[in-house]
Amino acid sequence: MTAISPAGGADPGATVPDRPLLDVRGLRTYFHVMDGTVKAVDGVDFSIPPGGTVGLVGESGCGKSVTAHSIMRLIDIPPGEIAGGEIWFDGRDLLKLSDSEMRHVRGGEIAMVFQEPMTSLNPVFTIGDQISEAILLHNDVNKKEAAERAIESLKAVGVSAPERRVKQYPHELSGGMRQRAMIAMALSCNPKLVIADEPTTALDVTIQAQILELIKALQARTGTALLLITHDLAVVAETVQTIAVMYAGRIVEAGTVDQVLLAPQHPYTQGLLNSIPGVKKRGRALSVIKGVVPNPFRLPPGCKFQPRCPYAWEACSASEPELLPAPNGAKSRCYLHSPEGAGRREAFEKSVAATMESVGG
Amino acid sequence: MTDASSRLAETSAAAATGARPVLLETLNLKKYFPIMGGLLRHQVGSVYAVDDVSLQIYKGETFGLVGESGCGKTTFGRTILRLEKATGGSVSMDGQDVLALHGDALKRMRRRMQVIFQDPYGSLNPRMPISDIIGEGLLAQGDKANGWRKRSIRDQRVGDYLEAVGLRRDYSRRYPHEFSGGQRQRIGIARALALGPEFVVCDEPVSALDVSIQSQILNLLSDLRAEFNLTYLFIAHNLSVVQYFCERIGVMYLGKIVEVAATDVLYATPQHPYSVALLSAIPVPDPRVRTKRLVLKGDVPSPANPPSGCRFHTRCWLRERLGNPAECSTTEPPLRELAGGHLAACHFAEQVTAQAVQEAAATQSVIETAVDVD
Ligand SMILES: Nc1ncnc2c1ncn2[C@@H]1O[C@H](COP(=O)(O)OP(=O)(O)OP(=O)(O)O)[C@@H](O)[C@H]1O
Ligand SMILES: Nc1ncnc2c1ncn2[C@@H]1O[C@H](COP(=O)(O)OP(=O)(O)OP(=O)(O)O)[C@@H](O)[C@H]1O
Ligand code: SF4
Ligand code: SF4
Ligand SMILES: [Mg+2]
Ligand SMILES: [Mg+2]
Repeated sequence: MTAISPAGGADPGATVPDRPLLDVRGLRTYFHVMDGTVKAVDGVDFSIPPGGTVGLVGESGCGKSVTAHSIMRLIDIPPGEIAGGEIWFDGRDLLKLSDSEMRHVRGGEIAMVFQEPMTSLNPVFTIGDQISEAILLHNDVNKKEAAERAIESLKAVGVSAPERRVKQYPHELSGGMRQRAMIAMALSCNPKLVIADEPTTALDVTIQAQILELIKALQARTGTALLLITHDLAVVAETVQTIAVMYAGRIVEAGTVDQVLLAPQHPYTQGLLNSIPGVKKRGRALSVIKGVVPNPFRLPPGCKFQPRCPYAWEACSASEPELLPAPNGAKSRCYLHSPEGAGRREAFEKSVAATMESVGG
Repeated sequence: MTDASSRLAETSAAAATGARPVLLETLNLKKYFPIMGGLLRHQVGSVYAVDDVSLQIYKGETFGLVGESGCGKTTFGRTILRLEKATGGSVSMDGQDVLALHGDALKRMRRRMQVIFQDPYGSLNPRMPISDIIGEGLLAQGDKANGWRKRSIRDQRVGDYLEAVGLRRDYSRRYPHEFSGGQRQRIGIARALALGPEFVVCDEPVSALDVSIQSQILNLLSDLRAEFNLTYLFIAHNLSVVQYFCERIGVMYLGKIVEVAATDVLYATPQHPYSVALLSAIPVPDPRVRTKRLVLKGDVPSPANPPSGCRFHTRCWLRERLGNPAECSTTEPPLRELAGGHLAACHFAEQVTAQAVQEAAATQSVIETAVDVD
């Protein structure tokens, strides 16, 4: 990957064609705790084009939220440390911005929607005050105009009687309404990028459907880029264009939704797809990924998935693979896609074909 | 109670003539929680958590109970097990009136009915070693015949069941914090099964777990069912898990059962408008499947103040399509049989067709779904 020269930030509004809006390169975020160092994110690369949608998926503890918080510069230092990497956003490396510059990016150009809106909304202020405050901070408007825009933004996310809702406190709203209010707040400053960290995990399935449809409709209407974080492969399948799969602090597979979900190129992704219960598997045992997620203090040598991988061979524990191009155009951090792995690829591909046969309904 | 018992006898007799023996049956089961308020803390209302639920669960089957948060699934399970006191109705297990039991008979019944909880973290006492966590129930159920009051026999059994759920015998000396989420869930399962139950309520046993661990636990539960001849009431809100795991399913909405059917029948041809929307909300991991969803309006209303008539009428897409017929808001639809074993509680269930669903999905407004329902 060639280095992209920063544009100097003269006009943050101008987007250069072909340049990603967000480009995360070699990000490393560590936590120094009593028992040692947790390398929560250890060399993450991915990018999002302007208006693009990317899903970051992986199991609990793989580093999804830490990646998002690093982009937003919300990591507490110490115990956290950004041990390496660059986060280019619209021509600037966010890691080099001053705190006050970052405050303008956060909530203005990049907005975040969290899993549990109760923890990110302030319980002692009304919904209207909280949205107005965000608008005042990032726009040249007076209080009255901000209050009007707060009502408009609630209306835009389908909140009924927004004039009444702005006077209510977070606890007076249902979970679905609160999540809509969070989305309204996120969109109120026309951000270029919205990061949604498990935005529907705490919600019921019918409310989840409402919110996902809403996010899709608003994304299409406003053209904002979206980074959607979730552990649910089905949620990303419906919502984004490209997927990055994380395991133990790394991206192990990246590609379009079709590439990753219809023809997974990494054994871990295959394992995840295999363990999703589906109607075609009824009466049969679900296939499981053997073993457990590695202890962050004792990561295995070489490929981090190697102790659980059914295809592992000597090369896998000797050194760690890079993200290699796979035959279908996706990228996979797996030696099966290196020249030495060529002889083993056929078995893998056969097994993937069987997996795909059993997925879906 | 006599009324209920006589009806119980009747239905058990009816069941006996049917094809499959019924293990557990509820008749008009009700559980209302009082809402206290005012200066004198007197009752100002009720939460109608379970309201008139009549269900039959066959011996050896896995019956799934689905529905959104707060619809009463857990309360239903707890009331059956007598962990909550029923407000009305009856529960029978193998023909015995569970709610009328007391003393030794109740103690014996408790052994036959067990529960596995959702939260593998909160449900194990952090200050007890695993041997005591699992042994506690055995000690309480100990008698001359089983010898469980003797430590050595108890420990032997604890070890056996730890092995049955795929853990090592010597883990019995450890404490809960030394285990991962998936391992703790196994301990919870061992605790429930060590008593040798016939009927197990699995209350969201995999909801708190990652997919890779979830599949291990589901496999374990189905192996154990075969090994110990268990009947499961499997409560879950993940509809893909239920579809994979259960033979028959009951759909709950605001304290009521709105539909019961065999799993394949329910997923292929749901007949209640709520079930249709619930199934349509399931995200699927296959990007080729991009059907238009039917998105429900608004939130689930409060079970303390359920809508009149049909409880679903405030959010019902079919009612809207039919021009808001009066029955929906005035008359409660009974749970009626539409085809062999397929029950639904909707006045207009016959109008729920694939075409009607498609048309309703095509004309909805995704953004304006947050209506006030309270
Ligand atoms: N403040 C912190 N101090 C120490 N370790 C931390 C801290 N924050 C996160 N970690 C560790 O970093 C790793 C990644 O955590 P992260 O929250 O990013 O996971 P995640 O992928 O978002 O998981 P989930 O799906 O459970 O939200 C975990 O091992 C976690 O314990
Ligand atoms: N002890 C209690 N006192 C008062 N209300 C209660 C009590 N337990 C449950 N409820 C209420 O009864 C209703 C049904 O609750 P229940 O826990 O059975 O729902 P559920 O379907 O299991 O939901 P979830 O999917 O969130 O577990 C809810 O409105 C709940 O708030
Ligand atoms: S590099 Fe080796 S161990 Fe790692 S995923 Fe590929 S085959 Fe498996
Ligand atoms: S009875 Fe009326 S409101 Fe209730 S589900 Fe049927 S159509 Fe909808
Ligand atoms: Mg997270
Ligand atoms: Mg519950």
